[in-house]
Amino acid sequence: MKTTGTRSLVLLALLAAFLFGLVWFTGEFALDGGGWAMQAYNGHLKGGGQLSYAGQVLDRNGVVLAQSVDGQRQYPPDEATRRACLHVVGDSDGAISTGVQSLYRAELAGYNLFTGLAAPDGSSLGNDVRLTIDSRLQAAAYQALGGKNGAVAVYNYRTGEVLCLVSAPTFDPANVPGDLETNSAYEGAYLNRALSATYPPGSTFKVVTAAAAIERIPDLDARTFTCTGSAVINNNEITCDGVHGEIHFADGLAKSCNIVFAELAVELGADAMTETAEKMGFNRSFSIEGVDTKPSSYDVSGAEAHELAWSGIGQYTDLANPLHMMILMGAVANGGEAVQPYLVQEVSSPLGLPGKTGAGSAGPRLLDETTAARLEAYLRYTITSYYGDETFPGLEVCAKTGTAEVGGGKQPCGWIVGFSQREDLPLAFAVAVEEGGYGRSSALPVASAVLQAAAAG
Amino acid sequence: MEWQSPAVQQAVSLLLFGCRAAVPALFLAVIWGCCASLRRGRRREEPVMMLEDAPSRAKIPVLYWENSLGRSRSCDIVLPDPTASRDHAVLYRREAGWFVMDSGSKAGTFVNGKKIQTARRVAPGDLITMGSTALRLKRVQPGDLKRAAAARPAKRAPRPAPLLLAATAAQLLLGVQACLQPEAPVFEPLLPLAGLLALEWALFAYSLKGLGRVSFELETLAFLLCGTGLMLLTQASMDDAWMQLLTMAAGVALFCGMIPFMGDLERVMRARPWIEAAAVALFAVNLAFGVASHGARNWISIGPVTVQPSEFIKVAFLFAGASTLDHLQTKRNLTEFIVFSGVCIGALFLMRDFGTACVFFAAFLLVAFMRSGSIRTIVLICAAAVFGVFLILQFRPYIMDRFAAWRHVWEYMDSTGYQQTRVLTYAASGGLFGVGLGRGYLSGVFASTSDLVFGMLCEELGLLTALGAAGVLAAFAVCARADVTRSRSTFYSITGCAAAGMLLFQAALNLFGSTDLLPLTGVTLPFVSAGGSSMISAWGLLAFLKASDERTYAVRRPKERR
Repeated sequence: MKTTGTRSLVLLALLAAFLFGLVWFTGEFALDGGGWAMQAYNGHLKGGGQLSYAGQVLDRNGVVLAQSVDGQRQYPPDEATRRACLHVVGDSDGAISTGVQSLYRAELAGYNLFTGLAAPDGSSLGNDVRLTIDSRLQAAAYQALGGKNGAVAVYNYRTGEVLCLVSAPTFDPANVPGDLETNSAYEGAYLNRALSATYPPGSTFKVVTAAAAIERIPDLDARTFTCTGSAVINNNEITCDGVHGEIHFADGLAKSCNIVFAELAVELGADAMTETAEKMGFNRSFSIEGVDTKPSSYDVSGAEAHELAWSGIGQYTDLANPLHMMILMGAVANGGEAVQPYLVQEVSSPLGLPGKTGAGSAGPRLLDETTAARLEAYLRYTITSYYGDETFPGLEVCAKTGTAEVGGGKQPCGWIVGFSQREDLPLAFAVAVEEGGYGRSSALPVASAVLQAAAAG
Repeated sequence: MEWQSPAVQQAVSLLLFGCRAAVPALFLAVIWGCCASLRRGRRREEPVMMLEDAPSRAKIPVLYWENSLGRSRSCDIVLPDPTASRDHAVLYRREAGWFVMDSGSKAGTFVNGKKIQTARRVAPGDLITMGSTALRLKRVQPGDLKRAAAARPAKRAPRPAPLLLAATAAQLLLGVQACLQPEAPVFEPLLPLAGLLALEWALFAYSLKGLGRVSFELETLAFLLCGTGLMLLTQASMDDAWMQLLTMAAGVALFCGMIPFMGDLERVMRARPWIEAAAVALFAVNLAFGVASHGARNWISIGPVTVQPSEFIKVAFLFAGASTLDHLQTKRNLTEFIVFSGVCIGALFLMRDFGTACVFFAAFLLVAFMRSGSIRTIVLICAAAVFGVFLILQFRPYIMDRFAAWRHVWEYMDSTGYQQTRVLTYAASGGLFGVGLGRGYLSGVFASTSDLVFGMLCEELGLLTALGAAGVLAAFAVCARADVTRSRSTFYSITGCAAAGMLLFQAALNLFGSTDLLPLTGVTLPFVSAGGSSMISAWGLLAFLKASDERTYAVRRPKERR
């Protein structure tokens, strides 16, 4: 009898496995339940997958960006606002997978872990989602792009609130074009380019080369470089837009002299360049509302000397993601430490059940504090000495433009990355304009328009 | 006030929500109460008889109803005697009194100086000699009980009637939910509910007053599950609900019949070959006249009723597997049981009823391990089974297609993952408290009330109640384990554990199959799922659990014994 008792412990092993399974299921239920419930066939979702009876999406000032009225999903009356906010808010069908209407579909439809899709009083009200976005800045950015494709990203580098996140091409979610899938003008319209695209960074990458040089070359400011409009490295010609003659480092960055940075990249070597680039966020992705950005890339393994030189001025195989560049600029402004951006301020629930509230979290350190301080000074000098402070009137901006050759007979991609030093306007930004030509003429006015709108608000 | 008016509807919604929130609390109370009652109500490990060493007069307590005696340390009574065999004899209690049986010892066993050949009845005062050890059987004297144990304050166990009342309250709350439908209140579900209440209270009265039993925990737990399943069914189809109630009554009748049958273990041992033969014959009939239904040929039609023979064979299987200790100690090999199990599982494979085959295999492993205690044997058997499955898949690779969606159900949403994705979606839609009885959408999916019933529990009654139902089945295992050394025979211990293991394993296949943690095999959730054969067999298995509780066969109430 005693041995039978001992052997019966095997039943307890079975019981433990059973309980483990229950815990596992409950865990999946808690973590993935929202996704399980959000299926078009689910009869508890009125209007199927169309969010016909879902909660509102609001901007930071309470402007309604999406709402359901009488079983219809409605968007703001102003078409520019609708188009500008499309990628942040998302469409009704959930085709834009990185939009809030996809990411928070379950919450908008009224789902919560406690009562599922059934409110205790029999109603079926959705939760409202309030964003950190300012719809005014969205519209300003969209209009400043002037019909060109590209991405605009602006955030508060102290709090992490994303104020503006625009991607083009875009479409009107209230009147989805019939030729969306076939017209080449809408190619990639479902993609939020600020999160999910990368472009050659061009001269904006000189910020990275500059950081590597600041950290490794003690007499950097005392040096003089000679620019004759081109230089031959490893039997290949590196060209510069100007003939800068004898030039110091600070002016080299301000005037974006290719020769200075090509020579610096070769001098620093592939290992040092890669180390700095990776520390500054290249070759990894950043996460915003659970969406991983497309990683910026810097890869000079096996590169020849002239290729290394081109990589130092943001060409070769370099690619940069707009949101990453925005975070990087936030880090420069913040003494090297980046604040992680976020988009959703609050998910409210009609029953007063605990809802989600968003907050920026301290991100990785992308730069040493002294490097960040010196970069900030150089970037400020770039604006005051070269572009003129009047390009960003009263905004105390530090920035770097870029004009990246993309090949294939296309116009260059225009860039600007930077931030405002003003204590009351702690905004970092990155703007990329596809086929924009010079960054100074394509991207800079967009950034200036958005920042002025922000300052005016 | 109009029923359809928003104010009434809202008030009804809130009332129903309150009902749904109260049900899991009652589940928890009933489970806790039943487990506490079983734990406190069972006998403490005190001697039932004493043996006195003849020369030294040292007293040895006899703790169990069946005891092995021998030199081996694994024996219940260890004889520190080099002339005794490792397993020398068995001392056990039957209705007629105490018996001794030699279990193939070298030196033989003697009662009052006479060598015994078969089981020999012994009375207090008789001298049992094994090797050079002589033990005299004695009654327990008050002084033999441990003082500490006697002084321990007995915490009162929950009484059976309040526990059944709590279960009844849960059933009534479910009944209220079944009646208050959005279009208009309906009262039809109250009839089967009344039937259920009559059945459970009749069984309660019969057990406690008629038979003088003191315990009703297992039945209370089972009725709690039955009521939940029944109320779910009233929403799907009233005909099915009546059928469910009818088979529930049949199951209770089987339960009531099996317990007295198992009271006489010699009779059970004699009947065993017949039960095995009947089981094999039933499988043969099934294979010959079986009706294919959704991939498995496991049904036979007899006139208007269809039955699933494999469900009844589950009960026969446990009869075949278990043994009393005197049989275990004398006939040690498992061959007969392995052959019988091989036939059963093979037949199920031929019927393509893989889920039930798995349940049988799990029960087989449990019984085999509890009989032999040999991990080597179990590993060998498992290896052989894996090899067998591997061979089958070599020749019939398409069987795998049925399980292709496992862990990828969302990619097979409209084919082989259809049922699982619907279960997950609707389970999540229910949240913790459910959308309300009869207000779910999973009921429209095939097999929702049987194989996918866990999804329906989650959707309509909420995750908490569904977990409560799972908790009841887990509680059966806890009870079986707690009773194991208190049982009146190893036959009861082994069948009790195996029955609980079978119920639990089948519940695991049902729960985790429908929610995609395991491949979907299509087995029922015991006591909850719609299905007559499965309901009857679940009660049959419960009879084994009941029999393993020693109080079941103690006619007198403990009050009178003192």
